[in-house]
Parts: sequence; structure tokens; C-alpha cells
Amino acid sequence: MTRSTLLSALWLLAATAFAQQREIRNPHTTPADVAAGAKIFRGHCGECHGLKGEGGRGPSLITGVYYHGATDEDLFNNITDGIPGTSMPGVFFSGDQVWQLVSFVRSLSASKAAPPKGDIARGERIFREKGCQGCHLVRGEGGVNGPDLTLIGSQRSPEHLRRAIVAPGDKVLRDHWVAKVTLENGKSYSGFILNEDTHTLQILEQQQGLQSLTKRDFNRYSVEKTSTMPSFARQLKEDELNDLVAYLHSLERKGGSR
Amino acid sequence: MKYLPFLLLACTAFGQVTFDRLLKADAEPHNWLTYSGSYKGWRYSGLNQINKANVKDLKLSWVYQMPVTHRVETTPLVIDGVMYLSEPPSNVVALDAATGRQYWRYRRSLPSKINVCCGQVNRGVAVSGDRVFIGTVDAHLVALNAKTGAVLWDIEVADYKSGYSVTVAPLIVKDMVITGIAGGEYGIRGFLDAYDIKTGQRRWRFWTIPGPGEKGHETWSGDAWKQGGGPTWVTGSYDAEQNLIIWGTGNPSPDWNGDVRPGDNLYSDCAIALDADTGKLKWHFQFVPHDVHDWDAVQVPVLVDTEFQGRQRKLVYWAHRGGFYYVLDRTTGKFLLGKPFATQTWANGLDANGRPMRKQGIDPTPEGVEVWPGVQGATNWYSPSYNPLTGLFYLTAWENKGLYRKGDAEYVAGNRYIGSVPKIDLEDEPGYGAIRALNPKTGERVWEHKLHTKPWSGVLSTAGKLVFAASGGWITRDRQEMEAWFYALDADSGKELWRINLGGDMSTSAITYAVNGKQMVTMAAGSAIFTFTLP
Ligand code: HEC
Ligand code: HEC
Repeated sequence: MTRSTLLSALWLLAATAFAQQREIRNPHTTPADVAAGAKIFRGHCGECHGLKGEGGRGPSLITGVYYHGATDEDLFNNITDGIPGTSMPGVFFSGDQVWQLVSFVRSLSASKAAPPKGDIARGERIFREKGCQGCHLVRGEGGVNGPDLTLIGSQRSPEHLRRAIVAPGDKVLRDHWVAKVTLENGKSYSGFILNEDTHTLQILEQQQGLQSLTKRDFNRYSVEKTSTMPSFARQLKEDELNDLVAYLHSLERKGGSR
Repeated sequence: MKYLPFLLLACTAFGQVTFDRLLKADAEPHNWLTYSGSYKGWRYSGLNQINKANVKDLKLSWVYQMPVTHRVETTPLVIDGVMYLSEPPSNVVALDAATGRQYWRYRRSLPSKINVCCGQVNRGVAVSGDRVFIGTVDAHLVALNAKTGAVLWDIEVADYKSGYSVTVAPLIVKDMVITGIAGGEYGIRGFLDAYDIKTGQRRWRFWTIPGPGEKGHETWSGDAWKQGGGPTWVTGSYDAEQNLIIWGTGNPSPDWNGDVRPGDNLYSDCAIALDADTGKLKWHFQFVPHDVHDWDAVQVPVLVDTEFQGRQRKLVYWAHRGGFYYVLDRTTGKFLLGKPFATQTWANGLDANGRPMRKQGIDPTPEGVEVWPGVQGATNWYSPSYNPLTGLFYLTAWENKGLYRKGDAEYVAGNRYIGSVPKIDLEDEPGYGAIRALNPKTGERVWEHKLHTKPWSGVLSTAGKLVFAASGGWITRDRQEMEAWFYALDADSGKELWRINLGGDMSTSAITYAVNGKQMVTMAAGSAIFTFTLP
């Protein structure tokens, strides 16, 4: 056993014993700890989770949603030991270093701690009045010309939400690229690309819902990477924009391990 | 001739795999005796019951579901009606090859924390006599009884706590089990080992990273060699006439930051040829000196004796991860021919000795540099195939570029030591995959079968003039950007003749065998083994 595993083993032992009384809290949460954690993350984790935790071969760590447990102790254990049955490896760092990693991972979704200022109820009203719902679903109500926003608060930062409203099309995410298809028989389809392989295409069609198409039948197929969302920069006052962002930010995952 | 008595003893019993049988694997195409089907590394079968005319009728015969969640990379072996295969992380199962029903299962108990670069995987077992051999992710080599799965011996190959693991399928040569090692992302010092089949005692070790006083050590600086990498994680080939084991080696460590290891970094990214009895190096050929892109040379060496440029020669065909296809002379390692088989932007070609003429500005930087091929290479460890009937060389190719970023590399035993965070897929330009056929004597492309995604699986070709191949993709937890088509292609034209959606990640290459007079084709997808036959 190396020194560092011994240390982390001791930590865990202490942690487990302690857990019977009280929740284990991360003892390394200063800005210097976050910075130290960031450095380790770049060298050892970013390969899979992305340099900024945005995801890649491993899942995104910026949503604040954890499927394998969300307490400090869970994160500590998952990072130390890895996640069995997946490609998430364990590490041979000291317990202190793992806590610094936990701090950094937490900082990736820290915007949760300070919600944007703005009035959520007013934001919801504006959302309806400005016709956002014509294109966007929220909890099953609305259109599908734009992405479903039911969980958008868990998925995106307030800054991203603000930008999406005033400058749509700045950078259209791959999830929002639109397939335009015309079949040999003249029928045409337009919708977000859900999945694609060599022979088939699965889309959320704007009028007809879920559609699975066979490429053999295609006459024309193009992918549009531009946004059809109009900019609301001119139509919204600063405080209305804040209210909207606060509302969207409040749309987050309920239930599950938080 | 040390092995002769052993041979004589064993060759009569049914189900007993002798060295002689391995040497003449071609003579029994109903079996699949080694990782690549034969010592020549062809992944070719002489069976032709399933052929161009009838493959359209191919139907599922049976499925074996593994009770595991790790990625499946196994190549099963089939010996006289029994299929032996590994399950990840390091289990072994014996099945009835006709029905998929289990005979026995060896389940390895493992330490809780094991670090393998890309998941706790295993690529297969080896069989000799009545013994089955498996390398384990905790870096042991284990011998099992082929009838019961009982452990005969279990030895430590290296210390798993320092990032060593065994994922490669072993290769039997004479009375030895040859095994490689993995851990190129953990700063290991690579080697190739030979163990006595009976006792598990080590016969020899060849360090792929030479130590002080050894030839090649001068291509390293300071202490970098101690964590120099050069793993040997894909099964090599054996040239019986010359008694040479020919094997590929992986990247130097750390992968994408070469600052601590100025020099050519021998014998990383090499084809090495070792005397099978002594483990001494006979020749080597380095594909990429001082690699900083993780372009392992862990491809299966394809050994062919043929007329080449006017005279009969012993050759090795090799399509390397960096995007060039090579022909080497197998007696000397001499470079004979090299030509790109996929888009590459890092070299202005190869010089007279096969050394790449590197371009400026292709090395990773902190901001990132775009280079073709991408981080997973233009091909990788999945098997190529050579078909003597068509004379063509088949392989899986990736057409994509990667963003190579350089980062810090600090060695801490047991932790990752990679020196960067490269990007495999550029969101907007993921590229595509293809199955390609090359004229192996010229490197010229004969046909291409294009795929939407980039496969993680290799190819099998048969005397039915078929190529079995698969599509692929990338699974992340939140999104499945993958496809799972398993294909039979026309070996002459690349035209699709049959396909089925197996619905799971395919990270291995198919095999074929016959049982009760029926030819079967087997491919692993997801956590299952699918076997097909004609109705
Ligand atoms: C080889 C790729 C790889 C590396 C390197 C890696 N991870 Fe992971 N990680 C994964 C995968 C894959 C999962 C998802 C497992 C699952 O849920 O299927 C994961 C899951 C996680 C989770 C749990 C997320 C949840 O939903 O509960 C955390 C936290 C995490 N990783 C942090 C880290 C940290 C910190 C590092 C560096 C010390 C790291 N990972 C290195 C691949 C990796
Ligand atoms: C004409 C249809 C349409 C209308 C009306 C519309 N949107 Fe959109 N919206 C889209 C489309 C299409 C996208 C995806 C492309 C993009 O990112 O710009 C999108 C994207 C977004 C995103 C980013 C989602 C993500 O996953 O990052 C947000 C947030 C958003 N819209 C909010 C709004 C709000 C708030 C309104 C009303 C003020 C509105 N939208 C009105 C079509 C529309």
C-alpha cells in the first residue's frame, strides 16, 4: 500500500465512523483549494470530463446532478475509488487532494449557490406573453420548434440563458441542429436530430413528433446549423430579462440525488 | 526440440491443442485456435459454407449474455465444439459453441481499485493442451483447466498498483505463454514476457524500454525511461520458420507531452521481432520516433510470404495508427514501402528508411493543434485481415482530425500520466469511418465502404469471399452517438450483402468456426455474444 492510499484509507475509515453521527463535510473549500483541485482536474480528469467539466467520454459535471450520490462524502468516495463497472477510474492521491478535487467539481455547478436576481413568477408570465411557449415545451406544454426547456435550469448557467435570449444563433449546439429531409415520394420533414446512423435518421419532427426515417428513401437531406429563434434583445427591458432568466433558472430537475 | 515429448503426448487427445495444431491452424478452419485465427495474424478463415450467394439468409442462432457491465473486447476461441471466451474484467467462460450454453465459468476476485486506461477490459484467452490462459486487470497471468475452469497456477506479472494491467489475449508459442502488458497512460515501463505453460515460471522478459547499458537506452534522457510506457496490449504474431515473435508496442509516456523524454524513445511505437526461445531482439522498426500523439503501433502484424517487387520475400503488412500503411521485410525489419491509407497532415511522407518526415507545428500545444488523424488514430488496435483468395488487405479506417493539447505531466505512481487533454471528436466535424480494402503490395486503395460513425471493431475475412465488419460510435452516459450494424461485405467490391442491428457497442472483431457441420459467425456487441448461421 502506498502512503497516499493508506492516507485516503484512513480518511475513509474516519469518515465512515464519523458518518454515523453527522454528515461529512469537505474540509478543503478555500479558493486556493479550488485552484489546486482545478490543476489536478486538468491533468487527470479533463481527458474524459472535458477541460471545464463540460463532458466528453465521461459525463458533464457542470449540472450539479450526480447519479452516484451528491454528498461531499459520495463525491469523495466516487473520485477515490472510481465507479465500478464503468471507465471512471480511481485515483492514488492523498485524501487532502481528493477533497480539493471535490471542491473544484462543486465549483463547476456553483452558480446553483447564487441564483440570478429576478422575479420567477414575473418571468413565467413574460415567458407566456412573449410567445416563447409557441416554440418551447415546459413540462409538457408548448411547441417543439425549439428545445424542451423543462430542465434548462439544471443544464445551463444563467449567463448562457441570458445569451440564448438576446443573441440566439451565436453558437447553436449540436443538439439543436435541424434536419431538413425530402423523400423520393415528395414528403418533407424538418426537426431536431435525435440520432443518426449509416442507414437511418431519428428526428423530433416539428409537426409530426418522433419520426424514424430510412436514408434509402431520401431525395434531399441537409442539416441546418443556424437558429430559428428570433432575438429578444430589443423587446425586453433589463429587469424583464432578469425575470426571464430567473424563471428559466428555476426550471430544474426535481427528485433524484441532488 | 525441447517441446517434442509434450507434443507427442498431447496430439492424440480430442480437444487438446498442441503446438503442432497451432502451427497448422489453417488445416482446421472449423476451429478458431488463436486470437487472430492463426500465427500469421490474418484473421481469415478457410470456411466458405457462408458465402456471397447465401449470406443474405444469415440468421441469429444464439446469444450469450454476460452478467457484467464493462466494455466487451473479447475474441472467443473455438476448439472442437467448445468456445472459450473472456468476460471483462477478467473472467473466463466455456460454452457449447453450438448452443451458447455454459459449461463453466471462472470468476476472478479483484481488488476494489484497479486503474486501466479505458475501462477494465480483456481481449481474450489462449489455449494449449488442456489449459486455458487469461491475463487479468490486476496484472496476473492465470492458467485454468480447460474442462473445469479450476485454477492451475496464478502468478503476478507486475504490480497493478503502479498502473500495470493485462488486457491482451496471450499467445502460445511452443511450451510458453507469451503475454504483453498495458498501462501506457499510467507511466509504466513496458515489456513482453514468456512463461512456462506447466509451471508459470518466467522464461524471459524483453523490456520495451531499455534500461541503462542496454541498446536503445541512449534514445531516452534522464530517468524518463523508468516511466517510458511502450506497452504491448495487442496480441502479436509468430513466424515459425524464423522462430520470431513479432509484436507491436504502444506509445511512450506521457502520451502528449514529450518534454521530459527528448530522443527517439525506443522501442515505443515499434514493430519488434524477438527470438522466441530467448526473448532477444532480432530487429525493430519504429513507426513514430518520439511520438507525442499517442499513435501506438499495437496493430496485429500480418505475415505474408509472397513475391514482392520482383522477388520472393517474407513480409509484414502493417497499417499503423498514424495513417500510413507499411510493408516490412520480416527477416531484417527493413522498410520496403509506405503509403497513407487515410488523411494525415503530420508528415511530408516517409524517407528511404521509413522514418516520417515530420511537418512543423504538429506537436501538441497548450491551446491545441488540429492534426489528422485524430487522437484515436486512422486505425487502432482492432484487427485487420488478409485474404489469400482476393489478395487484399482489409482494415477499419477513421477519417477525422483531433485537437491535440499539451498539459502538465507529473508522475505519481498509480495515477494517470498523460500530459494532456486531447479532444477525440470535434463537435462540428466528427469525420466518418470506413472499411477499406488495400492492395497490400502497393498500398493502393481498392475499395471503401463508408460508414456514418467511426467503428471500434476490426474485420474478419473468409474463403466465402466475405468481409465481416461493424459500425461504431461513441457512447456517453447522456447521449448515445453510436450505431451497431454488423455487416457482411463482398470481399471483392465492398458492397453490402447483409446487415443486422445488434444495438450495442462493438469493440472487437468477429470470428467464424463450424460445429456439427454448420459454419457459425460470432461477434460481441454490448455485453453479449451473438452467433449467426444459415437456417
Ligand atoms: C477514463 C475516463 C475518466 C476519467 C479519467 C475520469 N472519469 Fe469521472 N467518470 C467517467 C465516467 C464514464 C463516469 C460515469 C459513470 C456512469 O455513471 O456511468 C464518471 C463519473 C464521475 C463522477 C460521478 C458523476 C455522477 O453522476 O455521480 C464524478 C464525480 C467524476 N467522474 C469525477 C472525476 C474526477 C474528479 C476525475 C479525475 C480525478 C475523473 N472523474 C476522471 C470517466 C472518467
Ligand atoms: C420561433 C421559435 C422560437 C421562439 C419564439 C423562441 N425560441 Fe428559444 N429557441 C428556439 C430554437 C430553434 C432554439 C435552438 C437554437 C438556438 O440555440 O438558438 C432555441 C433556444 C433557446 C434557448 C437555449 C436552449 C439551450 O439548450 O441552450 C433558450 C434558453 C431559449 N431558446 C429561450 C427562449 C425564450 C425565453 C423565448 C421567449 C422570449 C424563446 N426562446 C422564444 C426557438 C424559439
